[in-house]
Amino acid sequence: MSKHCKIDLACENISKHFSGFTAVDNVSFTIPKGSFFSILGPSGCGKTTLLRMLAGFESPSSGDILIKQQSMLDVPPNKRPVNMVFQHLALFPTMNVEQNIGYGLRRQGVAKAEITERVAAVLARVGLADSGKKRVEQLSGGQRQRIALARCLVLNPTLLLLDEPLGALDLKLREQMKIELKSLQKEFGTTFVYITHDQSEALVMSDQIAVMNKGKFEQVGTPHQLYYQPETAFVAGFVGDSNRWHGTIISVDDSSLMLKTDDGLSFRAKVAVEQKLEKGAKVEVFVRPEAINVSRTAHSEDDNQLTCTVQTLLFDGANSQIIALEPNSGGKITVAMPQTSDFVDLKTGDQLFLNWSAAQTLGFLVESENLVSAVGA
Amino acid sequence: MIPSITQSRRFTSIYNSYLVAFFIFLAAPLIVVAVFSFNDSMFPSFPWGGFTTDWFFSNQGEKTGIFFDSELLGSIGLSAGIAVVTTVLAISVACCNAFLFERFDFPGKAFLYILTLLPLVIPGVLLGVSILVFSSEIANYFEDTWLVELEFLRPGLTLVVIGQFAFITTICTLIIAARLKKFDRTLEEAALNLGASPLMAVFTITIPYLKPAIIGAAIVSFLMSFENFNTTFMLVGSDAPLTVAMFERLREGSTPVLNAISVLLMLGSGLLALINIGMQKKS
Amino acid sequence: MGNLGANARLKLGLWLLLMPLGLWLLLLIILPHFELLIFSITDPEDGAFTFEFYFEFFTEPLYWRTFLRTAVMSILATILTLIIAFPVAFYIAKMLKGRSKGIVFAMCLIPFWVSELVRTFGWMILLRESGVISNFLQWSGLAAGPVELLYTDATIMLGLVYSSMLFMVVPLVSTLDSLDDSYIEAGYDLGGTNWNVIREIVIPHAIPGIVSGCIIVFMLSLGNYLTPVLLGGKDSLWFTEQIYTQFITRFNWEQGSAFGLLLLVLSSLIVWLGLKASGQSFTKTMG
Repeated sequence: MSKHCKIDLACENISKHFSGFTAVDNVSFTIPKGSFFSILGPSGCGKTTLLRMLAGFESPSSGDILIKQQSMLDVPPNKRPVNMVFQHLALFPTMNVEQNIGYGLRRQGVAKAEITERVAAVLARVGLADSGKKRVEQLSGGQRQRIALARCLVLNPTLLLLDEPLGALDLKLREQMKIELKSLQKEFGTTFVYITHDQSEALVMSDQIAVMNKGKFEQVGTPHQLYYQPETAFVAGFVGDSNRWHGTIISVDDSSLMLKTDDGLSFRAKVAVEQKLEKGAKVEVFVRPEAINVSRTAHSEDDNQLTCTVQTLLFDGANSQIIALEPNSGGKITVAMPQTSDFVDLKTGDQLFLNWSAAQTLGFLVESENLVSAVGA
Repeated sequence: MIPSITQSRRFTSIYNSYLVAFFIFLAAPLIVVAVFSFNDSMFPSFPWGGFTTDWFFSNQGEKTGIFFDSELLGSIGLSAGIAVVTTVLAISVACCNAFLFERFDFPGKAFLYILTLLPLVIPGVLLGVSILVFSSEIANYFEDTWLVELEFLRPGLTLVVIGQFAFITTICTLIIAARLKKFDRTLEEAALNLGASPLMAVFTITIPYLKPAIIGAAIVSFLMSFENFNTTFMLVGSDAPLTVAMFERLREGSTPVLNAISVLLMLGSGLLALINIGMQKKS
Repeated sequence: MGNLGANARLKLGLWLLLMPLGLWLLLLIILPHFELLIFSITDPEDGAFTFEFYFEFFTEPLYWRTFLRTAVMSILATILTLIIAFPVAFYIAKMLKGRSKGIVFAMCLIPFWVSELVRTFGWMILLRESGVISNFLQWSGLAAGPVELLYTDATIMLGLVYSSMLFMVVPLVSTLDSLDDSYIEAGYDLGGTNWNVIREIVIPHAIPGIVSGCIIVFMLSLGNYLTPVLLGGKDSLWFTEQIYTQFITRFNWEQGSAFGLLLLVLSSLIVWLGLKASGQSFTKTMG
């Protein structure tokens, strides 16, 4: 974020308590103008409550919401410069496409001729120029999506909120809509706040992602940062695939530390300078399957080396994985299957040589709210 | 028993004959009423005197067709008027009730809901007499204490409307509330989000959504009022709505002009029934 | 505005909506019945409390016999209606699909959109001495002379069953509709016979529909006036007739009020017993 970026939305220490539990717990963030900001988290993490507070359907228990430096606390939902694409789109079934898109303009008292003009223009921009007279039920899932977007964008909102709008679509269409949403956002230049539990949606489309868990933001960063430099165990586990073990630190020296997982594997990880890790401390350890080198012949030099046998092959085309067993300890590790000719005839029981660097082994202290140790990176 | 389970031929044939008998049982009274409206005789019974449409269109001799029977025609008008007023009142209150029960939480809601359902299980005759007694008491009080005669609280058309309204409102409330229950509230939120005030959202989104139920409830209400006898009979004054007029003639023994008006009623209510069923299908 | 404003508006809306409901229930349902109660225990001469109108009911055999007779025949009519309607409702809900289902269901519904008066009139034409059935019997040689089929208890029963059939069929169809075919198939698959499956799978599922159907049919029979008067004739002895006679013919409103309340107590009692026995709640059954 450069300093001369204008800030469209700022949330300052907002919390929302319902009787008995806290849905949003002291969250602060800012979103610069024109960016695509995602809030990623499992269901029940409070992201929907956060979004509804931005739209004005819930009021925060404490904290402030500023849109273009103006507090929104006393502004009812119909007066906020914010529009929302609802989870199930909420297209009005009693109206046709044109009437749906024109609804907001009619509420603003825009002249009829201008409404017709603007509706036609926005329909053309989302590529549905001839669909104005159609009924909502006549449209396909993807078309409805675009109508719901057009209905908001025609009002030129400062902020567009999207509540998992792709959830109802099938997989193929979802992939396509991800790309389409991103390009529409670029074209209109509107600030998008997108909430989802699907990491792939967030990673593909966003400029910035906030990972949310139990009402709090765990980490805010670019997709790249979240994937390669997770700051908490939750982020490391939630974004992307990982091998995940519980383990104990067995030795610490100047340049590296040794971990032993509960099922018996031993890893070496590099120590960053400011870490205060002691022998015997409990840690959670993450290694991404695709970070592991696999060889059928011999080890190459690296920090961690394991000799394993193939226990299970999970064939899934390009995403095929191997579950490997370390015979001495009985520990298991999942690795990505290389798509080279070497591995075409791989079968259960074959021997494999695995190696990866200490830098790709991420350890986080257990039972600690904050990040204590991120080794490597 | 269900199509995927084959049954013995004997069972199937017994079941089918039962169903045929049932539908004959349902249709028989209506069919004979219709058939005898074309009987060229002074009584709606055998012997069959030949085919005639006199009971609809005749205006001379001893036969007066329904279209020239000013007494019955007048009572049809009366009933229609009562039905329209009752329907408008019942639908307005029912809409309020539906929103109240579906959208608000307040202490005593469950109890009020039971009270709302109560008119369904109060016999119509009883509803009629209780309103008769209550309104007469009020009228007597005003007459004795203030020397004011409140004519509308005495048996007559106003009381008939009030009596019918008392139970028809419950039925309309149930129909409209059932549809409101299915309404997705995010549609209203979407309207607010697009700049509508809360009241505007209700009028532009929710009410149009309820329209099929409101029309359906209005049809049901109109027919229930038009055809009501029990409550009406307890509350009428000198003007007789259609059902009361027909009842009096039926007791005296009547010409087949009664059959003729019944045929018109069947056509009318059949048409309304079909419209209503069509509406339910669409929504 | 803001939080407080929204809450205040909500409160205002609640009160505005409560008003018509409250007025309707209070003025047209609660107070009139309360007035009926007052009437039935007040001596018209001196305004003192009296129990004489209830006493009159229990001492005059015509009154309490009519009352019992009305109750028993209404219960009988309810049971008969249930037995007759069940196979039909089952056929509509489970045997038919799509368009034919809609048509057959509509065929059941439409006769009941026609005024009760017209339907009763039809039965009179069918059943009276000079009526269709009597003539048919004579023509076929089954009867020597004209047969009077009106003015018997069986005729009243027929009329009661007929006039409330719809109110049994509709709730039955809607509950049976919600029974997934696979349960029935599973019943047969596990070795059940027709009777087993009906008794252990279909009927338990249909209980809510059966209860609400029975309650409505019972109430309609109890409160019926046209059928007993027109099909039962002068000696039909139906309790609603007694109420009418006291109010309109004899102008004895106090006695009529007592009768009315007794009818109300009876109907509430039987409905309550029915709900208790079947473990259903009033709101769920009726709403």
